Amino acid sequence: MSVLENIGRLEIKMFKAFTDTIMFAFKVIFRMFQRRTYSSAMRMVLLNQIYFTSVQILPLFFIVSIILGSLLVGIVFQLLKQLGLTDFFGNVLMGLIVTELSPFLTVLLITLRSSAAINTEMAVMKVNREIKTLEIFRIDIIDYLILPRIINGVISLVLLSSLFSILLLTSGILFSRLIFGMSIDVYSNIILNSANLSDIVISLIKCAIFGFFITLIPIRFGLKASQELTSIPIVVSGGMVGVFTAIIIIEVLSLITKLF
Amino acid sequence: MSREFKVGLFIVCTTIAVLLALLYLSSEKGFFANVYTFTLSSKSGDGFTDGMPVVFSGFKIGQVSELELNEKGLVLIKIKIPQRHMKWIKADSTFILYRPLIGAARIVVTTNNLDSAPMPPRKIADVEIVNDINDLIKIVQPLIEKITQIAENLERISKKVDKMADKTDEQLYGKEGTLPQVNKILKNIINKLEKLDTTVDNINKISKDTSEGTKDFRMLRSDIDDAVNAMDKVVIKLDELISSKKNPEFEVP
Repeated sequence: MSVLENIGRLEIKMFKAFTDTIMFAFKVIFRMFQRRTYSSAMRMVLLNQIYFTSVQILPLFFIVSIILGSLLVGIVFQLLKQLGLTDFFGNVLMGLIVTELSPFLTVLLITLRSSAAINTEMAVMKVNREIKTLEIFRIDIIDYLILPRIINGVISLVLLSSLFSILLLTSGILFSRLIFGMSIDVYSNIILNSANLSDIVISLIKCAIFGFFITLIPIRFGLKASQELTSIPIVVSGGMVGVFTAIIIIEVLSLITKLF
Repeated sequence: MSREFKVGLFIVCTTIAVLLALLYLSSEKGFFANVYTFTLSSKSGDGFTDGMPVVFSGFKIGQVSELELNEKGLVLIKIKIPQRHMKWIKADSTFILYRPLIGAARIVVTTNNLDSAPMPPRKIADVEIVNDINDLIKIVQPLIEKITQIAENLERISKKVDKMADKTDEQLYGKEGTLPQVNKILKNIINKLEKLDTTVDNINKISKDTSEGTKDFRMLRSDIDDAVNAMDKVVIKLDELISSKKNPEFEVP
Protein backbone atom coordinates (compact mmCIF):
# COMPACT_ATOMS: atom_id res chain seq x y z
CA MET A 1 0.00 0.00 0.00
CA SER A 2 2.84 2.37 0.83
CA VAL A 3 4.13 2.17 -2.74
CA LEU A 4 0.70 3.00 -4.14
CA GLU A 5 0.34 5.78 -1.59
CA ASN A 6 3.68 7.20 -2.67
CA ILE A 7 2.69 7.05 -6.35
CA GLY A 8 -0.64 8.70 -5.58
CA ARG A 9 1.03 11.37 -3.47
CA LEU A 10 3.53 12.06 -6.27
CA GLU A 11 0.76 12.30 -8.84
CA ILE A 12 -1.25 14.70 -6.69
CA LYS A 13 1.88 16.78 -6.11
CA MET A 14 2.69 16.91 -9.83
CA PHE A 15 -0.89 17.74 -10.75
CA LYS A 16 -0.98 20.50 -8.13
CA ALA A 17 2.33 21.93 -9.39
CA PHE A 18 1.01 21.85 -12.95
CA THR A 19 -2.29 23.53 -12.10
CA ASP A 20 -0.47 26.09 -9.92
CA THR A 21 1.81 26.95 -12.84
CA ILE A 22 -1.13 27.28 -15.24
CA MET A 23 -3.06 29.44 -12.75
CA PHE A 24 0.01 31.59 -12.22
CA ALA A 25 0.42 31.86 -15.99
CA PHE A 26 -3.18 33.02 -16.42
CA LYS A 27 -2.71 35.57 -13.65
CA VAL A 28 0.41 36.92 -15.38
CA ILE A 29 -1.29 36.97 -18.81
CA PHE A 30 -4.23 38.85 -17.31
CA ARG A 31 -1.88 41.45 -15.84
CA MET A 32 0.02 41.63 -19.10
CA PHE A 33 -2.99 43.14 -20.84
CA GLN A 34 -3.69 45.74 -18.16
CA ARG A 35 -2.52 49.21 -19.07
CA ARG A 36 -1.62 50.27 -15.54
CA THR A 37 0.93 47.44 -15.37
CA TYR A 38 3.27 49.35 -17.67
CA SER A 39 4.53 51.94 -15.23
CA SER A 40 7.80 53.78 -15.84
CA ALA A 41 9.59 51.60 -13.28
CA MET A 42 8.31 48.46 -14.97
CA ARG A 43 9.39 49.74 -18.40
CA MET A 44 12.86 50.48 -17.04
CA VAL A 45 13.16 46.95 -15.66
CA LEU A 46 11.87 45.54 -18.95
CA LEU A 47 14.43 47.56 -20.90
CA ASN A 48 17.24 46.32 -18.64
CA GLN A 49 16.02 42.74 -18.94
CA ILE A 50 15.96 42.91 -22.75
CA TYR A 51 19.42 44.44 -22.66
CA PHE A 52 20.80 41.66 -20.47
CA THR A 53 19.01 38.83 -22.25
CA SER A 54 19.21 39.85 -25.89
CA VAL A 55 21.55 42.77 -26.58
CA GLN A 56 24.39 41.72 -24.31
CA ILE A 57 24.32 38.19 -25.67
CA LEU A 58 24.22 39.29 -29.35
CA PRO A 59 27.95 38.88 -30.23
CA LEU A 60 28.05 35.42 -28.65
CA PHE A 61 24.70 34.58 -30.20
CA PHE A 62 25.91 35.61 -33.66
CA ILE A 63 29.07 33.51 -33.34
CA VAL A 64 27.18 30.46 -32.02
CA SER A 65 24.46 30.85 -34.65
CA ILE A 66 26.92 31.13 -37.53
CA ILE A 67 29.09 28.21 -36.39
CA LEU A 68 26.22 25.93 -35.36
CA GLY A 69 23.96 26.96 -38.23
CA SER A 70 26.66 26.52 -40.87
CA LEU A 71 27.59 23.12 -39.47
CA LEU A 72 23.98 22.05 -39.38
CA VAL A 73 23.19 23.29 -42.88
CA GLY A 74 26.44 21.89 -44.29
CA ILE A 75 25.91 18.44 -42.77
CA VAL A 76 22.25 18.26 -43.81
CA PHE A 77 23.00 19.40 -47.38
CA GLN A 78 25.88 16.94 -47.71
CA LEU A 79 23.69 14.14 -46.40
CA LEU A 80 20.87 15.01 -48.80
CA LYS A 81 23.32 15.00 -51.70
CA GLN A 82 24.71 11.61 -50.70
CA LEU A 83 21.22 10.15 -50.38
CA GLY A 84 20.14 11.65 -53.72
CA LEU A 85 17.43 13.71 -52.06
CA THR A 86 18.48 17.05 -53.51
CA ASP A 87 14.87 17.80 -54.49
CA PHE A 88 13.87 17.84 -50.84
CA PHE A 89 16.52 20.20 -49.54
CA GLY A 90 14.10 23.16 -49.49
CA ASN A 91 11.59 21.20 -47.40
CA VAL A 92 14.31 20.03 -45.04
CA LEU A 93 15.78 23.52 -44.69
CA MET A 94 12.44 25.22 -44.05
CA GLY A 95 10.49 22.45 -42.38
CA LEU A 96 13.17 21.05 -40.14
CA ILE A 97 15.98 23.53 -39.65
CA VAL A 98 14.20 26.90 -39.77
CA THR A 99 10.87 26.10 -38.15
CA GLU A 100 11.97 23.38 -35.74
CA LEU A 101 15.66 23.52 -34.93
CA SER A 102 16.22 27.28 -34.74
CA PRO A 103 13.53 27.86 -32.05
CA PHE A 104 14.80 24.81 -30.19
CA LEU A 105 18.46 25.85 -30.26
CA THR A 106 17.57 29.45 -29.36
CA VAL A 107 15.44 28.37 -26.41
CA LEU A 108 18.25 26.14 -25.20
CA LEU A 109 20.75 29.01 -25.38
CA ILE A 110 18.44 31.44 -23.59
CA THR A 111 17.43 28.86 -20.98
CA LEU A 112 21.02 28.08 -20.13
CA ARG A 113 21.96 31.73 -19.89
CA SER A 114 18.90 33.59 -18.62
CA SER A 115 16.47 31.14 -17.01
CA ALA A 116 19.08 29.88 -14.58
CA ALA A 117 20.00 33.50 -13.76
CA ILE A 118 16.35 34.53 -13.21
CA ASN A 119 15.74 31.47 -11.04
CA THR A 120 18.74 32.22 -8.84
CA GLU A 121 17.97 35.94 -8.70
CA MET A 122 14.43 35.29 -7.47
CA ALA A 123 15.57 32.72 -4.93
CA VAL A 124 18.26 35.04 -3.57
CA MET A 125 15.78 37.92 -3.38
CA LYS A 126 13.41 35.68 -1.45
CA VAL A 127 16.13 34.52 0.96
CA ASN A 128 17.34 38.08 1.52
CA ARG A 129 13.71 39.14 2.13
CA GLU A 130 13.93 41.71 -0.66
CA ILE A 131 10.54 40.55 -1.94
CA LYS A 132 9.03 41.03 1.51
CA THR A 133 10.53 44.52 1.55
CA LEU A 134 8.96 45.33 -1.82
CA GLU A 135 5.62 44.12 -0.54
CA ILE A 136 5.98 46.28 2.60
CA PHE A 137 6.58 49.26 0.32
CA ARG A 138 3.43 48.18 -1.57
CA ILE A 139 5.32 47.59 -4.77
CA ASP A 140 3.52 44.96 -6.85
CA ILE A 141 6.04 42.17 -7.46
CA ILE A 142 4.12 40.88 -10.48
CA ASP A 143 4.35 44.29 -12.16
CA TYR A 144 7.82 45.14 -11.03
CA LEU A 145 9.63 41.80 -10.96
CA ILE A 146 7.73 39.12 -12.81
CA LEU A 147 6.10 40.72 -15.86
CA PRO A 148 9.20 42.52 -17.21
CA ARG A 149 11.12 39.25 -17.13
CA ILE A 150 8.35 37.28 -18.80
CA ILE A 151 7.69 39.90 -21.51
CA ASN A 152 11.45 40.05 -22.05
CA GLY A 153 11.48 36.27 -22.46
CA VAL A 154 8.74 36.41 -25.08
CA ILE A 155 10.30 39.30 -27.06
CA SER A 156 13.85 37.92 -26.86
CA LEU A 157 12.92 34.41 -27.89
CA VAL A 158 10.86 35.55 -30.88
CA LEU A 159 13.49 38.01 -32.11
CA LEU A 160 16.54 35.86 -31.46
CA SER A 161 14.96 32.81 -33.02
CA SER A 162 14.07 34.86 -36.10
CA LEU A 163 17.65 36.12 -36.25
CA PHE A 164 18.90 32.56 -35.98
CA SER A 165 16.65 31.54 -38.87
CA ILE A 166 17.82 34.48 -41.01
CA LEU A 167 21.47 33.57 -40.33
CA LEU A 168 20.76 29.92 -41.18
CA LEU A 169 19.11 30.85 -44.46
CA THR A 170 22.04 33.14 -45.28
CA SER A 171 24.56 30.38 -44.62
CA GLY A 172 22.30 28.15 -46.73
CA ILE A 173 23.07 30.39 -49.75
CA LEU A 174 26.77 29.68 -49.31
CA PHE A 175 26.40 25.95 -48.77
CA SER A 176 23.89 25.45 -51.58
CA ARG A 177 26.43 27.10 -53.91
CA LEU A 178 29.36 25.05 -52.59
CA ILE A 179 27.61 21.67 -52.37
CA PHE A 180 24.96 21.80 -55.09
CA GLY A 181 26.42 24.57 -57.29
CA MET A 182 23.10 26.37 -56.95
CA SER A 183 22.61 30.05 -57.81
CA ILE A 184 20.94 32.48 -55.38
CA ASP A 185 17.87 32.72 -57.66
CA VAL A 186 17.30 28.99 -57.68
CA TYR A 187 18.00 28.78 -53.95
CA SER A 188 15.52 31.53 -53.09
CA ASN A 189 12.92 30.02 -55.41
CA ILE A 190 13.25 26.62 -53.72
CA ILE A 191 13.07 28.21 -50.27
CA LEU A 192 9.98 30.21 -51.26
CA ASN A 193 8.28 27.13 -52.63
CA SER A 194 9.08 25.13 -49.52
CA ALA A 195 8.17 27.87 -47.05
CA ASN A 196 4.78 27.53 -45.51
CA LEU A 197 3.42 30.70 -43.95
CA SER A 198 1.31 28.81 -41.41
CA ASP A 199 4.36 26.82 -40.28
CA ILE A 200 6.31 30.04 -39.78
CA VAL A 201 3.46 31.59 -37.79
CA ILE A 202 3.22 28.44 -35.65
CA SER A 203 6.97 28.59 -35.16
CA LEU A 204 6.78 32.25 -34.01
CA ILE A 205 3.91 31.45 -31.64
CA LYS A 206 5.89 28.52 -30.32
CA CYS A 207 8.85 30.85 -29.67
CA ALA A 208 6.56 33.22 -27.75
CA ILE A 209 5.23 30.33 -25.63
CA PHE A 210 8.79 29.10 -25.06
CA GLY A 211 9.80 32.59 -23.94
CA PHE A 212 6.82 32.82 -21.63
CA PHE A 213 7.42 29.53 -19.86
CA ILE A 214 11.21 29.57 -19.68
CA THR A 215 10.92 32.74 -17.58
CA LEU A 216 7.69 32.00 -15.73
CA ILE A 217 8.77 28.59 -14.38
CA PRO A 218 12.13 29.78 -12.97
CA ILE A 219 10.39 32.77 -11.36
CA ARG A 220 7.77 30.52 -9.78
CA PHE A 221 10.40 28.11 -8.47
CA GLY A 222 12.61 30.97 -7.29
CA LEU A 223 9.73 32.40 -5.26
CA LYS A 224 9.29 29.01 -3.60
CA ALA A 225 12.65 29.39 -1.77
CA SER A 226 12.48 29.44 2.02
CA GLN A 227 14.43 31.87 4.24
CA GLU A 228 17.47 29.58 4.23
CA LEU A 229 20.40 29.83 1.84
CA THR A 230 20.41 26.06 1.37
CA SER A 231 17.02 26.24 -0.33
CA ILE A 232 18.53 28.20 -3.28
CA PRO A 233 20.20 25.27 -5.11
CA ILE A 234 17.11 23.12 -4.52
CA VAL A 235 14.71 25.60 -6.14
CA VAL A 236 17.17 26.40 -8.95
CA SER A 237 17.60 22.75 -9.92
CA GLY A 238 13.86 22.17 -9.61
CA GLY A 239 13.18 25.21 -11.76
CA MET A 240 15.58 24.10 -14.47
CA VAL A 241 14.08 20.62 -14.58
CA GLY A 242 10.66 22.27 -14.86
CA VAL A 243 11.88 24.48 -17.71
CA PHE A 244 13.25 21.56 -19.71
CA THR A 245 10.07 19.59 -19.13
CA ALA A 246 8.05 22.56 -20.39
CA ILE A 247 10.26 22.83 -23.49
CA ILE A 248 9.66 19.18 -24.34
CA ILE A 249 5.90 19.49 -23.75
CA ILE A 250 5.67 22.61 -25.95
CA GLU A 251 7.69 20.91 -28.73
CA VAL A 252 5.37 17.90 -28.67
CA LEU A 253 2.27 20.12 -28.65
CA SER A 254 3.55 22.16 -31.60
CA LEU A 255 4.21 18.97 -33.57
CA ILE A 256 0.68 17.79 -32.82
CA THR A 257 -0.67 21.20 -33.92
CA LYS A 258 1.18 20.86 -37.25
CA LEU A 259 -0.44 17.48 -37.86
CA PHE A 260 -3.84 19.13 -38.02
CA MET B 1 25.64 54.57 -26.87
CA SER B 2 23.12 54.38 -24.07
CA ARG B 3 21.46 51.14 -23.01
CA GLU B 4 18.06 52.43 -24.18
CA PHE B 5 19.44 53.15 -27.65
CA LYS B 6 20.99 49.69 -27.97
CA VAL B 7 17.81 47.93 -26.90
CA GLY B 8 15.70 50.14 -29.20
CA LEU B 9 18.05 49.51 -32.12
CA PHE B 10 17.98 45.77 -31.54
CA ILE B 11 14.21 45.56 -31.30
CA VAL B 12 13.54 47.87 -34.26
CA CYS B 13 16.12 46.28 -36.58
CA THR B 14 15.15 42.71 -35.77
CA THR B 15 11.43 43.43 -35.98
CA ILE B 16 11.88 45.16 -39.35
CA ALA B 17 13.97 42.22 -40.63
CA VAL B 18 11.35 39.70 -39.50
CA LEU B 19 8.45 41.75 -40.88
CA LEU B 20 10.23 42.29 -44.20
CA ALA B 21 10.94 38.58 -44.47
CA LEU B 22 7.32 37.73 -43.72
CA LEU B 23 6.04 40.37 -46.16
CA TYR B 24 8.39 39.15 -48.90
CA LEU B 25 7.33 35.58 -48.29
CA SER B 26 3.66 36.52 -48.31
CA SER B 27 3.95 38.52 -51.52
CA GLU B 28 6.01 35.81 -53.25
CA LYS B 29 3.52 33.22 -52.12
CA GLY B 30 0.83 35.31 -53.75
CA PHE B 31 -0.83 36.22 -50.49
CA PHE B 32 -1.61 39.73 -51.74
CA ALA B 33 -1.80 38.95 -55.46
CA ASN B 34 -4.89 38.18 -57.51
CA VAL B 35 -5.36 34.48 -57.98
CA TYR B 36 -7.06 33.02 -61.08
CA THR B 37 -8.85 29.72 -61.05
CA PHE B 38 -8.86 27.31 -63.99
CA THR B 39 -10.74 24.05 -64.29
CA LEU B 40 -9.19 20.89 -65.68
CA SER B 41 -10.86 17.54 -66.22
CA SER B 42 -9.80 13.95 -65.97
CA LYS B 43 -11.53 10.57 -66.31
CA SER B 44 -9.99 9.41 -63.06
CA GLY B 45 -9.25 11.18 -59.82
CA ASP B 46 -6.41 8.80 -58.97
CA GLY B 47 -3.27 10.69 -58.02
CA PHE B 48 -4.92 14.10 -57.65
CA THR B 49 -4.81 15.74 -54.21
CA ASP B 50 -5.68 19.11 -52.75
CA GLY B 51 -2.63 21.37 -52.67
CA MET B 52 -0.84 19.41 -55.39
CA PRO B 53 1.68 21.70 -57.12
CA VAL B 54 1.22 22.94 -60.66
CA VAL B 55 4.63 23.36 -62.26
CA PHE B 56 5.93 25.04 -65.38
CA SER B 57 9.49 24.21 -66.49
CA GLY B 58 10.13 22.73 -63.06
CA PHE B 59 8.96 25.82 -61.17
CA LYS B 60 5.83 25.84 -59.05
CA ILE B 61 3.33 28.34 -60.44
CA GLY B 62 0.18 27.29 -58.63
CA GLN B 63 -1.64 24.52 -56.88
CA VAL B 64 -4.74 22.36 -56.94
CA SER B 65 -7.42 24.02 -54.84
CA GLU B 66 -10.43 21.77 -55.28
CA LEU B 67 -11.47 18.38 -56.65
CA GLU B 68 -14.99 17.43 -57.55
CA LEU B 69 -16.91 14.79 -59.49
CA ASN B 70 -19.41 16.15 -62.02
CA GLU B 71 -22.64 14.53 -63.14
CA LYS B 72 -20.98 13.00 -66.22
CA GLY B 73 -18.53 11.14 -64.01
CA LEU B 74 -15.60 13.34 -64.91
CA VAL B 75 -13.25 14.60 -62.23
CA LEU B 76 -12.97 18.38 -62.22
CA ILE B 77 -9.71 19.76 -60.89
CA LYS B 78 -9.61 23.43 -59.98
CA ILE B 79 -6.17 24.99 -59.99
CA LYS B 80 -5.23 28.40 -58.64
CA ILE B 81 -2.60 30.43 -60.48
CA PRO B 82 -1.33 33.80 -59.15
CA GLN B 83 -1.48 36.73 -61.57
CA ARG B 84 2.30 36.89 -62.07
CA HIS B 85 2.29 33.30 -63.40
CA MET B 86 -0.67 33.82 -65.72
CA LYS B 87 1.74 34.44 -68.62
CA TRP B 88 2.60 30.73 -68.68
CA ILE B 89 -1.01 29.55 -69.07
CA LYS B 90 -2.11 29.89 -72.69
CA ALA B 91 -4.98 28.56 -74.80
CA ASP B 92 -2.76 25.81 -76.26
CA SER B 93 -1.23 24.79 -72.93
CA THR B 94 -1.30 21.12 -72.10
CA PHE B 95 -1.69 19.74 -68.60
CA ILE B 96 -0.11 16.46 -67.58
CA LEU B 97 -0.45 14.71 -64.25
CA TYR B 98 3.04 13.40 -63.65
CA ARG B 99 3.41 10.70 -61.04
CA PRO B 100 7.10 9.99 -60.71
CA LEU B 101 8.48 6.79 -59.24
CA ILE B 102 10.12 8.80 -56.46
CA GLY B 103 8.82 12.16 -55.23
CA ALA B 104 5.48 13.90 -55.11
CA ALA B 105 2.98 13.89 -57.97
CA ARG B 106 2.44 17.20 -59.81
CA ILE B 107 0.56 18.76 -62.69
CA VAL B 108 3.03 19.82 -65.38
CA VAL B 109 2.01 22.68 -67.65
CA THR B 110 3.57 22.78 -71.11
CA THR B 111 3.08 25.77 -73.40
CA ASN B 112 4.60 25.53 -76.85
CA ASN B 113 3.79 29.05 -77.97
CA LEU B 114 4.04 31.69 -75.27
CA ASP B 115 2.72 34.32 -77.69
CA SER B 116 -0.61 32.57 -78.16
CA ALA B 117 -3.82 33.83 -76.60
CA PRO B 118 -4.40 33.44 -72.88
CA MET B 119 -6.46 30.51 -71.74
CA PRO B 120 -10.14 31.44 -71.37
CA PRO B 121 -11.26 31.10 -67.74
CA ARG B 122 -14.26 28.93 -68.68
CA LYS B 123 -12.30 26.46 -70.81
CA ILE B 124 -12.00 23.01 -69.28
CA ALA B 125 -8.74 21.45 -70.40
CA ASP B 126 -8.08 17.72 -70.24
CA VAL B 127 -5.33 16.35 -68.07
CA GLU B 128 -3.16 13.58 -69.47
CA ILE B 129 -1.75 11.14 -66.98
CA VAL B 130 1.86 10.05 -67.04
CA ASN B 131 2.37 7.44 -64.43
CA ASP B 132 5.95 6.39 -63.93
CA ILE B 133 4.97 3.57 -61.60
CA ASN B 134 2.37 2.04 -63.93
CA ASP B 135 4.57 2.59 -66.98
CA LEU B 136 7.41 0.92 -65.19
CA ILE B 137 5.15 -1.97 -64.21
CA LYS B 138 4.05 -2.33 -67.85
CA ILE B 139 7.68 -2.42 -69.00
CA VAL B 140 8.79 -4.70 -66.22
CA GLN B 141 5.88 -7.20 -66.39
CA PRO B 142 7.09 -9.11 -69.53
CA LEU B 143 10.58 -9.09 -68.05
CA ILE B 144 9.22 -10.58 -64.84
CA GLU B 145 7.42 -13.29 -66.84
CA LYS B 146 10.65 -14.12 -68.68
CA ILE B 147 12.56 -14.15 -65.43
CA THR B 148 9.93 -16.53 -63.99
CA GLN B 149 10.36 -18.85 -66.98
CA ILE B 150 14.12 -18.72 -66.61
CA ALA B 151 13.73 -19.52 -62.93
CA GLU B 152 11.50 -22.51 -63.74
CA ASN B 153 14.02 -23.75 -66.33
CA LEU B 154 16.81 -23.29 -63.84
CA GLU B 155 14.84 -25.34 -61.33
CA ARG B 156 14.40 -28.17 -63.86
CA ILE B 157 18.08 -28.03 -64.76
CA SER B 158 19.04 -28.06 -61.11
CA LYS B 159 16.85 -31.17 -60.55
CA LYS B 160 18.57 -32.91 -63.48
CA VAL B 161 21.96 -31.86 -62.17
CA ASP B 162 20.95 -33.27 -58.79
CA LYS B 163 20.05 -36.64 -60.34
CA MET B 164 23.29 -36.66 -62.34
CA ALA B 165 25.20 -35.82 -59.21
CA ASP B 166 23.55 -38.74 -57.40
CA LYS B 167 24.52 -41.14 -60.19
CA THR B 168 28.02 -39.78 -60.32
CA ASP B 169 28.24 -40.20 -56.55
CA GLU B 170 27.27 -43.84 -56.87
CA GLN B 171 29.74 -44.43 -59.68
CA LEU B 172 32.51 -42.69 -57.84
CA TYR B 173 31.88 -43.52 -54.19
CA GLY B 174 29.67 -46.67 -54.40
CA LYS B 175 30.92 -50.12 -53.37
CA GLU B 176 31.74 -50.94 -56.98
CA GLY B 177 32.61 -47.28 -57.71
CA THR B 178 35.80 -45.98 -59.25
CA LEU B 179 37.38 -44.52 -56.17
CA PRO B 180 37.31 -47.69 -54.01
CA GLN B 181 38.95 -49.60 -56.89
CA VAL B 182 41.56 -46.88 -57.31
CA ASN B 183 42.21 -47.15 -53.56
CA LYS B 184 42.79 -50.90 -53.90
CA ILE B 185 45.20 -50.37 -56.82
CA LEU B 186 47.05 -47.71 -54.88
CA LYS B 187 47.38 -50.00 -51.85
CA ASN B 188 48.81 -52.76 -54.07
CA ILE B 189 51.26 -50.33 -55.63
CA ILE B 190 52.33 -49.18 -52.15
CA ASN B 191 52.94 -52.81 -51.07
CA LYS B 192 55.00 -53.46 -54.20
CA LEU B 193 56.97 -50.30 -53.69
CA GLU B 194 57.75 -51.36 -50.12
CA LYS B 195 59.15 -54.63 -51.50
CA LEU B 196 61.17 -52.75 -54.08
CA ASP B 197 62.73 -50.71 -51.27
CA THR B 198 64.76 -53.75 -50.08
CA THR B 199 65.97 -54.43 -53.67
CA VAL B 200 67.03 -50.83 -54.01
CA ASP B 201 68.96 -51.13 -50.72
CA ASN B 202 70.77 -54.21 -52.05
CA ILE B 203 71.64 -52.41 -55.29
CA ASN B 204 72.96 -49.54 -53.23
CA LYS B 205 75.20 -51.92 -51.28
CA ILE B 206 76.48 -53.50 -54.51
CA SER B 207 77.23 -50.11 -56.00
CA LYS B 208 79.11 -49.16 -52.82
CA ASP B 209 81.14 -52.36 -53.00
CA THR B 210 81.80 -51.77 -56.69
CA SER B 211 83.06 -48.27 -56.02
CA GLU B 212 85.38 -49.58 -53.32
CA GLY B 213 86.59 -52.32 -55.79
CA THR B 214 87.37 -49.68 -58.40
CA LYS B 215 89.65 -48.01 -55.83
CA ASP B 216 91.62 -51.36 -55.58
CA PHE B 217 91.70 -51.51 -59.36
CA ARG B 218 93.38 -48.11 -59.45
CA MET B 219 96.05 -49.26 -57.01
CA LEU B 220 96.55 -52.47 -59.00
CA ARG B 221 96.80 -50.50 -62.20
CA SER B 222 99.41 -48.20 -60.73
CA ASP B 223 101.40 -51.28 -59.60
CA ILE B 224 101.10 -52.77 -63.12
CA ASP B 225 102.14 -49.38 -64.55
CA ASP B 226 105.24 -49.42 -62.31
CA ALA B 227 106.05 -52.99 -63.36
CA VAL B 228 105.61 -52.16 -67.05
CA ASN B 229 107.81 -49.09 -66.66
CA ALA B 230 110.52 -51.23 -65.02
CA MET B 231 110.20 -53.73 -67.84
CA ASP B 232 110.55 -50.89 -70.36
CA LYS B 233 113.75 -49.76 -68.68
CA VAL B 234 115.10 -53.34 -68.69
CA VAL B 235 114.23 -53.70 -72.39
CA ILE B 236 115.95 -50.39 -73.17
CA LYS B 237 119.07 -51.51 -71.33
CA LEU B 238 118.98 -54.86 -73.14
CA ASP B 239 118.74 -53.05 -76.47
CA GLU B 240 121.73 -50.97 -75.57
CA LEU B 241 123.69 -54.03 -74.58
CA ILE B 242 122.81 -55.92 -77.78
CA SER B 243 123.75 -53.06 -80.07
CA SER B 244 127.20 -52.48 -78.40
CA LYS B 245 128.45 -56.17 -78.69
CA LYS B 246 130.00 -57.71 -81.80
CA ASN B 247 128.27 -60.91 -81.24
CA PRO B 248 124.80 -60.00 -80.54
CA GLU B 249 124.36 -63.06 -78.50
CA PHE B 250 123.52 -62.85 -74.97
CA GLU B 251 122.95 -65.13 -72.25
CA VAL B 252 119.79 -65.15 -70.46
CA PRO B 253 120.46 -64.73 -66.77
